[in-house]
Amino acid sequence: MMSVLINKLPRNNIKTIITRSSEIQSCRHLSIVPSLYDDKDPAPTFFSSQVQILLKRLTRPDLSKVFRKRCNTGLFVLRTPTYKFLTDKELEAEIAKANEKAEQLLQMPPVVKMHQTINEVLSEDPALIGYDSCKYLFTDITYGVKNEHRIIVERDPDGVLRNCDHDIRKRLNQTYFPMNGRKIKEPIMFSDKDRFNDLLDNSKYEFILDRACIQYEPDEPKYQSVTSITYQHIDLKKCYEILRSTRHFGPMTFYLTWHQSMDNLMLELLQGNAIREAVLLTSLRQHIHGDVINGGEAHNLAQQILPTPKQSEKPENLTEEDIQLDNKCVECIEKFIVGNSAMKSQHELALQGFREHYQQLIDLSRGLRKAHGGV
Amino acid sequence: MLPPASGTGQYFEKAAKSIRLIRQGCTNRPFYHISVTQRKRLNSQPVIEQLGSYDPMPNINNEKLVALNLERIKFWLGKGAQVSTPVAEILGLAGFFPIHPRSYMTAWRNRKTERENLAKQAEEAKTKENTD
Amino acid sequence: MFSKFLAFKRVVQPSSSLLTRCLNNNNIVHNLKFISTSSVYCVNFFNKLPAEKLWKSVTSVSNAGAKKGRGRGAGRIRIRDLNRGQVIGVGKINMLWPGLSAPVIRGRELLKQQRLPDDSERMEKLIKLRDSMTKFRRLKLTPIERGWSGNRMPGRSIGPPDPIGEDEFVGFDTKVLQLRSLLIMKGSLGRTKNYQAMVVTGNGQGLAGFGIGRSKEAPAALRRAKNRAGQKLMHFEICNGHTIFHDFYTAFGKTKIFVQMKNEGYGLKCHRAIKEICQAIGIKDLRAKVEGSNNLQHIVKAFFIGLLQQRTHQQLAEEKKLHLVEYRAENEYYPKVIASPKEVRTKEEIPKDETLDFIQYVMNDKVILKKKKFPRFYETMPHYQIYLKKYEKYRNHEKIRLNLKTEYGEVKSFLTERYPEEKAESES
Repeated sequence: MMSVLINKLPRNNIKTIITRSSEIQSCRHLSIVPSLYDDKDPAPTFFSSQVQILLKRLTRPDLSKVFRKRCNTGLFVLRTPTYKFLTDKELEAEIAKANEKAEQLLQMPPVVKMHQTINEVLSEDPALIGYDSCKYLFTDITYGVKNEHRIIVERDPDGVLRNCDHDIRKRLNQTYFPMNGRKIKEPIMFSDKDRFNDLLDNSKYEFILDRACIQYEPDEPKYQSVTSITYQHIDLKKCYEILRSTRHFGPMTFYLTWHQSMDNLMLELLQGNAIREAVLLTSLRQHIHGDVINGGEAHNLAQQILPTPKQSEKPENLTEEDIQLDNKCVECIEKFIVGNSAMKSQHELALQGFREHYQQLIDLSRGLRKAHGGV
Repeated sequence: MLPPASGTGQYFEKAAKSIRLIRQGCTNRPFYHISVTQRKRLNSQPVIEQLGSYDPMPNINNEKLVALNLERIKFWLGKGAQVSTPVAEILGLAGFFPIHPRSYMTAWRNRKTERENLAKQAEEAKTKENTD
Repeated sequence: MFSKFLAFKRVVQPSSSLLTRCLNNNNIVHNLKFISTSSVYCVNFFNKLPAEKLWKSVTSVSNAGAKKGRGRGAGRIRIRDLNRGQVIGVGKINMLWPGLSAPVIRGRELLKQQRLPDDSERMEKLIKLRDSMTKFRRLKLTPIERGWSGNRMPGRSIGPPDPIGEDEFVGFDTKVLQLRSLLIMKGSLGRTKNYQAMVVTGNGQGLAGFGIGRSKEAPAALRRAKNRAGQKLMHFEICNGHTIFHDFYTAFGKTKIFVQMKNEGYGLKCHRAIKEICQAIGIKDLRAKVEGSNNLQHIVKAFFIGLLQQRTHQQLAEEKKLHLVEYRAENEYYPKVIASPKEVRTKEEIPKDETLDFIQYVMNDKVILKKKKFPRFYETMPHYQIYLKKYEKYRNHEKIRLNLKTEYGEVKSFLTERYPEEKAESES
């Protein structure tokens, strides 16, 4: 008996060591702790028109990327392209239509508060105890009722009739009214943490977010944790460019601002010489938290910036008005760095870099105008 | 090839209708449609309309799934359709009808056999203790 | 010496065999005393004529027969080399001849002339060897070398054209499109045979040309055609590196070709000659429908004319004085302007009866005949209805099995684990 025990002990030890090491490994991957929208409801802020406009502008939509070749549209074989002869007017109409479509493609997934569990007892009948050992789930399949308003009730073995909870509702809705692409069983990429981390490490952010949009409802805790981990991973790796011109950039910016971690994004904007977008970001922060020192000024500037075209489009063609506006923006950002920034030194360095770059641009455009015979 | 859920059975205005379970599964795998038919028709004949389904085999989560098109059920009840006992039981459990007396009877009988089994087991245990 | 010996054998053999036969009949004991001394003819049909003439008498076909095609192909009788496989000193009777078929001294022993047991397989081996010579063997080609059909020339590659001076055709490849014999009547010579070849050569990057060559011999005709093709190269632009710029209609004589541009990955779905031409040019995706005459030379010429008459997108836009816009399904039908003219017409300036549809315009108002698709012959039959009814219940089984396999690794459900005894029973 003793010998058996002695034999067993070292093996167990090895096993525990191995399992521990694997735990450590998985811990290293899971260092990101998801933060959910669970205390305050973000929906009113997110859906307010000002915030929506700011988020859309920050997405920096580029039509060639919005209409990129996609492989999730159900087209398994390429189709022969079609051609048309168009007059100027018809072309404008077509482009307007395309812009509408782009708007549709860029529609942001909603950001809402996590749902509460449903625990609503409809009736109790102890005389039914022992009728059956399993639950009965009843679904109303009346035509034309929306999934969220559908009557779905369960009769428990103890005779209680109650409304079903969200996960069961989702499952039954998917059983009787299947949604294309959604699976009843959770896809392995979400349930298996290693696979999920592999995807993150390979920067397949858009794939993850698109699939999460299909698989989950926006108020599900799993959706919020998946998106939260993805956003934080992007923030860590600073690869915002992958999400630009996609519908997920807005929610990501909102998430980072909401959870007070938009400093990296601010730094990226300053380093990318997008000073106006940096002002828009401060304005967004003022909308969400209201803790920016020069909040009013940022709002005013944002109002001035929004009608102007995107900054990156023609950098060497600056008019005097542009220069004025940009100088105001620089002042605004300076104040913001002093008052609210958590990475002051880095932000100031980036801003200094921008100032030098901008001075060159100003000289270039003034010189150009002179050469062309301007005043 | 399968008839649509709206049904293909002959419909006579005045004839009596009945809402009943119609077995659709295969051998060893029962599955029921809840359908409305002419009362005098066989279950193998085409129905007037399908109103829902009932899967009597518990699934992986130990649940029995029932689907009911309540709007159409109400319509046919308004037309004076008779409801068969198993369907009435299901509707009773769903909270749409008052609970059918047969459900109570089944529950009571199940409880009774359970109690008897328990008593038998206790007795056996006792006799075992005594013999030991 | 040996030939003499053979001659003697030849003289002796027939008579001796004759003798033995009659002796056997008379049941008289074989004895050398009975050799007849009367003269024997040592000249017969087989040694009167040389081998050549003998073989000719066997293999030759009459003039009339040759015209009908006799004496060619698989059934032809061929000359066999009867000496093959024969060794001096080895014969029907297995004798050991020291110094001829064996060494004189083996070890320390002096070998003596002696008769060995008969080798029964020797004759079989010889016959087998002779038969192997007669069998008609086709020239075997690997699938890569093979042309359109068998080991015939059309469709086969014959390498780049010969260099001219120091200019070499690098990266070019030539494909044979046609090789045929032409018969011409001449006053002095009567009917003479010529070969005509048509080939296409190209480098797969836009340069290609075709040529026709004629000669008395097939290889010469091919070479002449190849070199002519190399002299007549044309340059074609390839749209997006894989297809043509637009659909077009083209004709030569009674041959009409409708060519359509296609998406990437569509492939070449057209006449085999057009396919070879496209490969020579470097076009990868295209569909072509040949109507009217199937004359191959006309097809080739029509297709080349059609390719040359293509217009680029910019030219089309300038001709029409309208923007040319492209819509792709994979880009969600985003209107991409691919060519704009210098000045654009307005809607009022366009006449009412002008063709504005792109395909109609580039096809020159020709429309491809789309054949009506009829239901399959069995679809209207009663047994098909019965089949559909019978197999409807299995319609999702394959999918379910696949799902179960991905989930559990085999076809089973959660109930299989709940009732293990059922599984054991079914297995036993």
